[in-house]
Amino acid sequence: MYLPPAVTKQAEIEAAIARVQQSVGPDLVRIRYEIGEDWSGQWAIFFRIVLTDDAARRRLGDVATKVERALDQQLDFPGMGVFPYHNFRSVSEQAMLQEAAWA
Amino acid sequence: MGLADELLVDAHFMADKAIPDQRQTLMRRSISTAYYAAFHLFIEDFVEHWEFPDQRARLGRMFGHTKMCTGFTPKDKKAPTPVEQALQDVVRAFSQLQKDREKADYDGGWRLIETDVRNAIRLAEDVFSKWRTIKGEDIARHHLLSMFGARSD
Repeated sequence: MYLPPAVTKQAEIEAAIARVQQSVGPDLVRIRYEIGEDWSGQWAIFFRIVLTDDAARRRLGDVATKVERALDQQLDFPGMGVFPYHNFRSVSEQAMLQEAAWA
Repeated sequence: MGLADELLVDAHFMADKAIPDQRQTLMRRSISTAYYAAFHLFIEDFVEHWEFPDQRARLGRMFGHTKMCTGFTPKDKKAPTPVEQALQDVVRAFSQLQKDREKADYDGGWRLIETDVRNAIRLAEDVFSKWRTIKGEDIARHHLLSMFGARSD
């Protein structure tokens, strides 16, 4: 079974995420991720990004773009054989939903 | 106003109605409509160059969703030009919208939240504004061809 190179590069991904967290600043609470196939059967990396309530409410466009671009610059997605997807939620939304994958 | 712009207005309208009431079905329709707004933006742009106006709608129906999510990497990934950066943002946003549309339309277990909807609208707006800024540029024209299945050189 084919597995994309990203599967063996988890340490590199974690390190890149740490750098992104530092560069984006306090608006970004945390990033979780998962590697899997998307709806079309292509390999993908799904980022689950938690923002402060204020950032999600008032500055979603700016902060989300900053996070997406920073991840693009830090990680070679084509080289890792995955396409990146980014989903966002606020701290309050996660507190309400209580999904372990986002914690 | 073309179909793409009308759909974007509708996506906003539905989001504004759905979010205060946390109405899940309308949130799903808003995300789906935001995607279709971006989808039709590219189709309208592609077919407007077809010489025969009466055939444009038929031509537009030739395009498939999956093929349109073709990637783009700037020549120098660490220092993209402004046009490359905008195109990369457009490609990323469109692919995300397509995934979210699929989930909104078919994943009955997805419990949507306000940020899901606002983010979809944000992505569609981003596609519109950035695409309209760069669509005359060579790399954008080539990318549009790739989205509709043309092979690279």
